[in-house]
Amino acid sequence: MLRLEKVCKDWKGFKLKDISFEVKKGEYFIVMGHSGAGKTLLLETIAGIYKPDRGRIYLNGEDITEIPPEKRGIAYIPQEYALFPHLSVYDNIAFGLKIRRFNKSEIEKTVKELAEILGIVHILKRKPKTLSGGEKQRVAIARALAIKPKLLLLDEPFSNLDYQIRSKLIEEMKKWRKELEFTAIHVTHNFEEAIALGDRVGIMTNGSIELIGKPKKVAKSLTFSMIKSEKVC
Amino acid sequence: MKRDYTDIFFIFLGSFLLIYIILPIFFLIVKQCLDFEILIQTLQDDIVLNALKNSILTATATALISLIFGVPLGYILARKDFKYKSFVQGIVDVPVVIPHSVVGIMLLVTFSDAILDNYLGIISAMLFVSASFTINSARDGFLAVDVNLENVARTLGAGKLRTFFSISLPLAFPSILSGAIMTWARAMSEVGALLIVAYYPKTAQILVLDYFENYGLRYSMPIAVILITLSLCLFAFLRFLLWRFSNAET
Repeated sequence: MLRLEKVCKDWKGFKLKDISFEVKKGEYFIVMGHSGAGKTLLLETIAGIYKPDRGRIYLNGEDITEIPPEKRGIAYIPQEYALFPHLSVYDNIAFGLKIRRFNKSEIEKTVKELAEILGIVHILKRKPKTLSGGEKQRVAIARALAIKPKLLLLDEPFSNLDYQIRSKLIEEMKKWRKELEFTAIHVTHNFEEAIALGDRVGIMTNGSIELIGKPKKVAKSLTFSMIKSEKVC
Repeated sequence: MKRDYTDIFFIFLGSFLLIYIILPIFFLIVKQCLDFEILIQTLQDDIVLNALKNSILTATATALISLIFGVPLGYILARKDFKYKSFVQGIVDVPVVIPHSVVGIMLLVTFSDAILDNYLGIISAMLFVSASFTINSARDGFLAVDVNLENVARTLGAGKLRTFFSISLPLAFPSILSGAIMTWARAMSEVGALLIVAYYPKTAQILVLDYFENYGLRYSMPIAVILITLSLCLFAFLRFLLWRFSNAET
């Protein structure tokens, strides 16, 4: 599905160093790391916002390294959701469909279907400014999924939400995954999210992916290495 | 509750400039009201009406031209980092520091007869002294647009141009419009460069000077009153439109 081969990027002090990994179709891949590890830069490079200095990116076997973001079919949800403030929730979700020249009834059908699944039918006419954090998050997911992306990139999607809403949305995300069958790379620094959602987890440190594996196995290795490093200290 | 003397002191000092701006406008209008007959006479003067028309049309053309060329430049200054960016930004601000009579001389040396005493000359002079308002406002407007909005629009399938027109431009529009209004207002008030480049066709601001030199204060004052009333009304109307637009956005 998605394959990164020795991707390097240096951008304003953030670095990606020889990043190589693969995400399979239908997989939910978590990238975990501390602030400044380069997680956002990694997503933005996969999305095509930045071009790697070295290395290649393949999507479904096709080399997309030089392809601009609008032609990749990869949807990206940044940390603050980036909902278009001058458009209603409906128009936000319909944005990508209008660009693809879907007709009005098709757009309406898709928006309503997604709005029902994500529980946002009642806010379709509202402007993003009037929405709560949880609602904004749902709208951003609906907008991204409306274009049926080959890959969904989520940058710390739950970090701005309080604990209760976050737990609820994590549970709902599992449900949406089953229903909408999307492939995703989800960046977080929260292990709870990684365990709950990830099929696999990659640990990112200082621009490199250090460890990839099943969430529980990675958790075990991390605990072990932490104990080890404490003993050394 | 204890009185905040700092605020009162600051308001007192700040009021000085406000009063200084309002007072001459007030006195000009009041004095003209005492000599109403000549105001009516001036309003029926074809030369005056024609000059007013010239001023408004050329200032509007200047604002439109500054939008067409200034908005893309403002966008580049806001979004791109390049080697001589601060030099380019400096060029944009240069007209502010050059005396306007010097602007007139420069334009005349550069374009000679092509701009001498014609509409092109008026617009050239106005554009030189006022375009920086639109460029700087456009740049500030685009800087205020979160770059992630543009990134997301692109991942949703919008090309660079489509992203510009559907996301960046509508969000920066209030700031751009505000800059265009300032450009228009600055163009309406330009005299120095026009005296050298395009004394003819007569604009209202040149006509005020012309009447003052030839007929004295009594005959130049009504043109000044008409010009200031018209400018303030249009300025207020455009500001109102901007306010309406900004409120509709939020």
